[in-house]
Amino acid sequence: MDISRRKFFKVTAAAGGVAACAVAKPALAREAKEPDPNEYGMLNDSARCIGCKACQVACKKENKLPTESSLEDSLYDSPRNTSEHTYTLIKLFKDDKRGVSSFVKRQCMHCVDPACQSACIVGALKKQPDGSVKYDAQMCMGCRYCMVACPFNIPQFEWKKAIPVITKCTLCSESRLAKNKPTACSEACPAGAIVFGRRGDLLKIARSRIEASPELYVDHIYGEKEVGGTNVFYLSKKEVAFASLGLPDFDYRPVSGLTESIQHRIFQYFIPPIAVYTVLGGIMYYNQRRKNQAAQAQGGEEHE
Amino acid sequence: MSRPAAPLRQKFFTFNVAVLLFFIGAGVVFAYFRFFHGFASITNLSPGFPWGIWISFDVACGVALAAGGFTTAAIVEIFGQGRYHPLLRPATLTAFIGYFLVALAVCFDLGKYYNIWHALVFWNGTSVLFEVAWCVMMYLTVLAIENLPAVVEQYKGNVQLPGSLGLLDRPTNWFLGRADQVLRRTMAFFVIAGVVLSFGHQSSLGTLMLIAPYKLHELWYTPLSPLLFLTSAVSVGIPMVIFEATLATKFFGRKPETELLSGIAEYIPSFLGTYLLLRIGDLAYRGVLAKAFDGSLQGYSFLVELSLFAMPYFLLKRPRIRANGTFLFLCACSVILAVVLNRFNVFLIGVNPGNGYNYFPSVGEIAITLAFVAFGVLLYKIGVNYLPILEEQAPDHEPA
Ligand code: SF4
Ligand code: SF4
Repeated sequence: MDISRRKFFKVTAAAGGVAACAVAKPALAREAKEPDPNEYGMLNDSARCIGCKACQVACKKENKLPTESSLEDSLYDSPRNTSEHTYTLIKLFKDDKRGVSSFVKRQCMHCVDPACQSACIVGALKKQPDGSVKYDAQMCMGCRYCMVACPFNIPQFEWKKAIPVITKCTLCSESRLAKNKPTACSEACPAGAIVFGRRGDLLKIARSRIEASPELYVDHIYGEKEVGGTNVFYLSKKEVAFASLGLPDFDYRPVSGLTESIQHRIFQYFIPPIAVYTVLGGIMYYNQRRKNQAAQAQGGEEHE
Repeated sequence: MSRPAAPLRQKFFTFNVAVLLFFIGAGVVFAYFRFFHGFASITNLSPGFPWGIWISFDVACGVALAAGGFTTAAIVEIFGQGRYHPLLRPATLTAFIGYFLVALAVCFDLGKYYNIWHALVFWNGTSVLFEVAWCVMMYLTVLAIENLPAVVEQYKGNVQLPGSLGLLDRPTNWFLGRADQVLRRTMAFFVIAGVVLSFGHQSSLGTLMLIAPYKLHELWYTPLSPLLFLTSAVSVGIPMVIFEATLATKFFGRKPETELLSGIAEYIPSFLGTYLLLRIGDLAYRGVLAKAFDGSLQGYSFLVELSLFAMPYFLLKRPRIRANGTFLFLCACSVILAVVLNRFNVFLIGVNPGNGYNYFPSVGEIAITLAFVAFGVLLYKIGVNYLPILEEQAPDHEPA
């Protein structure tokens, strides 16, 4: 019985077409990822940022990105949003009524459990041991599911190119971290608003900043837990909520939790697809036999 | 009573074909810009809306509306309702055309379309899209096989290759004969595989957007989404068959098959009922029904979607309505529109990526989508004209 069952399994799996889904099994059974304190990351301190955009310029130089102008004379690099040419951007938040304002740096958060990695159809986005989430343009097929998945709308697409790829902040992984250099933006910051370092150390620095001036900061390190944790953290001024800086109140669970558990349940050990196949096969067999018997009883005039 | 299927063999180049060719031509022009000057030249896609109507209509609706193939196959072949056999071949053909167009549309939407085969080699099991891609690919293969008997039947025993290739007539004939036998013996296997594969990707399409809990509106963001996608796809299967059959009747000057269609329509209310029960139960359980009445665009869109699902449910329960060809057609249209609107809601209308992004399809996107639809209709016409798809009818009002 065992042999025939296994044979059935093989045939159904191979030709019935659920074989591919086998890989879903081990990948989905994983536990929630624990943040690694030794990975690299950055701390962006909105309270210290003076809005000089030196980091933005440094990023463009490092990654050889063209300028983008939203002004008529197109002399200055003045992007309004992160884009395929702008991996990081300083944005101004202003509340005239309360007379408060704050700058915030937008960039890839290099999530601990990245939604983009979970979503990518071919695995072109991958968390690296150094902490960065790396993108492989060679593998990518441009489906843009990563853009749908990223809760921070970070991955960008080269809309103007005939053969477009995804672009986003690399944490300078290959160009600088590999050479023991900090990220270009953190090096350029004159105000100490971008600290580069290991995740564990960054958390300590952030906490000590809050403790040293509790009247200045919101008592929360954004990114410590949000969406399962990120490697890029934020501090904000007391009177400016993170949400108004484009850092919404996200849950502490990774956004890919639901899709992964659904996929996992459906394809666990092939059981559901095979069960459906078997049941349908049984019904079909039963109905055909009944039809044949009826036909024989009638004198076999049916041709099937 | 039951007659064999036969090619229609009508005049091919009619006015309608010219109209179809016009739409296809317009699409080709825009496609040129898409492929050589980038998405920005003709689409309204943006970082906040990386997926537009090519995904929500061409792919998501395309797959759902091709559900006539597997539902009819299941009813006729698996559940043994042989009397609906005449509907099977056209349904299988349209399903194949539908999926073929879905695959083509995906190629238009992919940035690096020539990397499409990467899904075969680089596996990422956590990706819902990966599973969708595999199931769609395999189901397209299965559909091709399911359509083979019609091709084999047409050419078996009368292959006449031109010129010196004529030498190959006999081997080809022999081969087709063998193929016929093999297909007859193995078809059951493919029919069931087709249904299982359909279950797989119809539901997974509903899982796709669940990766974006902060972007998709609560009315559609539910863990039940895969099941809702599956049940709504099953519900739209027969309505699509009715829709196509009715139009084919009109445009090919055939006798209406109302009796057959109203027979099979009897199943629709139970499918729709299941769907509605799950849908409303889910909304009530999650306590978000009130959102439908908050006066937002999403709320209204949901209400329209729900009524389009609910009306045919109540109407089609009545035998009198089912027996009337026009009502039947209208009810079928309602279900189809409901499913189309539902897919739009999940992939576009219910999506708010934040940052003030919004989206409305551009002329170019719409033109390319229309071109796909026109191409599909044209392929169907070619199919039924030259292959034995539709059942032969007594030639009383149309001398052959
Ligand atoms: S912020 Fe977005 S792109 Fe960056 S790692 Fe997280 S999910 Fe990926
Ligand atoms: S666009 Fe590229 S990187 Fe993004 S999900 Fe698709 S294949 Fe992966």
